[in-house]
Amino acid sequence: MSHIRRGFGQHEGVGTRILTVEDDERIRTAVKMALEDEGWQVDEADNGEHALELFTATPADVVLIDIMLPGIDGFEVCRAIRRASDVPIVMVTARADTHDVVAGLEAGADDYLTKPFAPKELSARIRALLRRARTHDPAGTHLAFGELEIVPDEGSVLRNGEEVHLTKTEFRLLVELASSPGRVFSREVLLERVWGYGYFGDGRLVDVHIRRLRTKIEPDPANPRHVVTVRGLGYKLQT
Amino acid sequence: MRRFTRLQPLGLRARLTLSFALGALLLSVLLSLLTWNLTRESLLRQREDSSIERVLANALTLRRSLGGTSDVASLLASLPTPTGAELALLAGGTWDARNPVEFAQSDVPAELFNQVAAGDVATVRTAVGDTVYQITGVPLPTVGAQYFEAVSLTDISQALDGLTISLLGASAVTTVAGGLVGFWASRRVLEPLRNVGLAAEAIAGGQLDTRLASGDDRDLDPLVASFNDMASALEERIERDTRFASEVSHELRSPLMTVAASMEVLENSRDQLGERGQTALDLMGADLERFRQLVEDLLEISRVDVGAVTLHLAPVQATELVVQAVGATGRGSVPVRYGLDVGNAVVLVDKVRFFRAIDNLLANATNYAGGATGVEVSLHRDGDGDEWVRIAVEDGGSGVPPEERDVIFDRFSRGREGGNRGADSGTGLGLALVAEHIRLHRGRVWVEDRPDGASGARFMVELPALHAEGEADGDVGYLGEDYGLDEVTGETPAVTAIPAADAEPGERQPATSEGRSGR
Repeated sequence: MSHIRRGFGQHEGVGTRILTVEDDERIRTAVKMALEDEGWQVDEADNGEHALELFTATPADVVLIDIMLPGIDGFEVCRAIRRASDVPIVMVTARADTHDVVAGLEAGADDYLTKPFAPKELSARIRALLRRARTHDPAGTHLAFGELEIVPDEGSVLRNGEEVHLTKTEFRLLVELASSPGRVFSREVLLERVWGYGYFGDGRLVDVHIRRLRTKIEPDPANPRHVVTVRGLGYKLQT
Repeated sequence: MRRFTRLQPLGLRARLTLSFALGALLLSVLLSLLTWNLTRESLLRQREDSSIERVLANALTLRRSLGGTSDVASLLASLPTPTGAELALLAGGTWDARNPVEFAQSDVPAELFNQVAAGDVATVRTAVGDTVYQITGVPLPTVGAQYFEAVSLTDISQALDGLTISLLGASAVTTVAGGLVGFWASRRVLEPLRNVGLAAEAIAGGQLDTRLASGDDRDLDPLVASFNDMASALEERIERDTRFASEVSHELRSPLMTVAASMEVLENSRDQLGERGQTALDLMGADLERFRQLVEDLLEISRVDVGAVTLHLAPVQATELVVQAVGATGRGSVPVRYGLDVGNAVVLVDKVRFFRAIDNLLANATNYAGGATGVEVSLHRDGDGDEWVRIAVEDGGSGVPPEERDVIFDRFSRGREGGNRGADSGTGLGLALVAEHIRLHRGRVWVEDRPDGASGARFMVELPALHAEGEADGDVGYLGEDYGLDEVTGETPAVTAIPAADAEPGERQPATSEGRSGR
């Protein structure tokens, strides 16, 4: 697969392409119609192989992947897309099993939804992801600690002078923690600030993303020095 | 099945120990008695055998000498006797004793006189005063006399007394030793049972892969094998049930997804529908939501049933939690009251499930009693000194009659208005889920009358309080501590304190879900 990295400079709404990967034709059609009502352009794929072909041909701005797919499953599709792109990915699951949710997030998804969701809820999640994707915060603090350097106006993180490829969600998470180094952020706060969730957000979103962030920026992810857990309270950034 | 319980049933271990001790006691007493009797018999026979020869020799001497000298006293004195022996000669009705004070004619039992008179050598044992004597009588028919010799048995009875004490001591020691052996043996015997108990406890606690290690004891191996088979069957069954629930979940959610998305498409083009079409759309929307909730509740309750619920527990300050939970339901202004005493109490909860429980209680009040009138958080100390956080959800409805208070938490129980659902939008599982969720949190739920005497129900949730006061600064998550409550706008429910002598009004303002949309 070719490595495609593209910016997400499009305006919300018109021109925003959403790729939905769903094997159930009725669900696919209904969700497509509901999303089109929101003004988005929707590409459909009924299996993993088709989805990867479509994404390679015309990269989408947001990808919606159902976990249960014939052939290569949703996790694998997610990993394949993630290897090539940091496009926001929402996993859709018909099972609220801990295993499915965590596995989906581990595979690189930014967020997840459990069927049956209201398409308006999906739209809200997509908007939050697109906002995150576009966020280049020129007012953000340029922060350097240890071998790491955060350049908010470029939306990039340097480690020993080399760029680290973070997804937009991971980047937002790091910037949020870096906004006040040393302060403890609870999962709830991070869910609200990064994902736009209220009370019912799932703390596992934060935990899995923190884990992934560590594998990218920590010299020893098992013994993190920068993004540390404060037991019972949340996470904080140590400079 | 009826079970009869004795007043003070002893444990298996105590019974085994007692049995061993009793067995040892019985055996040692039996052996002691046997030993004592055998010793006594042998000592006495020895004494008898040793004395009879001497007595006969003395009698022979007497018979020979009596013809010559008539001085019986000096004759008696000349006879060889061991110390403590008394001699006497009865001749022609005259009792001549070597020591008449110690040995009188009346000391000799009549039966001995009779036997000796009949011409037999005889021996009897008899007590003279405090001392037991062995008296032997020999007839001397040629001289018309009878010779009597008495030997004290004091030394033998002293020896037997000593033996008695030794045997009693030995019996006591044996009994205690038997009890100890029983205690030790019962521990050995019960050890595998204890392991079975621990394993069963672990399985009940959710560690379904717990198995007993099979030892090299062929008596115990069948037990271990059948226990492990049972545990495997149970694990398999729970896994199958969980898988089934998961598949049912998928099969139910998929069509709902299509309907939910299609509903929204219809909703988007609502204006193109006529009035009747719009009403039909609203009806569909409302019942779709109810159906969705029913599926969620059913799946959740089946997860509870098969033990597939994993709680994500975190310590949270109780008042904070309740205020947030009430705010999160978005059910408008419900006042939350709490006293200062509950201020530092901390509970260990799965936030999402606790919020759902509070939401269900408030929804129940909305569906059946025109909405909750207030939520109260208080601290309760029970008889054991344990502290509990009590959360009361009050409504102003018609209350719950006493006979329905237990069944109201049953599934699909709708109380008096069972048949008449009206505009009821509940699923019938809400309160059952509250009960299950709170039970998972090691708490309990019940419903009672309002303490102020007003009409209405008071649904109580009780959770164990985690920390005593003052410890709350440690490892405790304050929900929304960083939310910047000064930014909260919109409707804010009133927070008032329960009047109490030393209570100050609670200061933390609850955030409503509407108020939190600012971020």
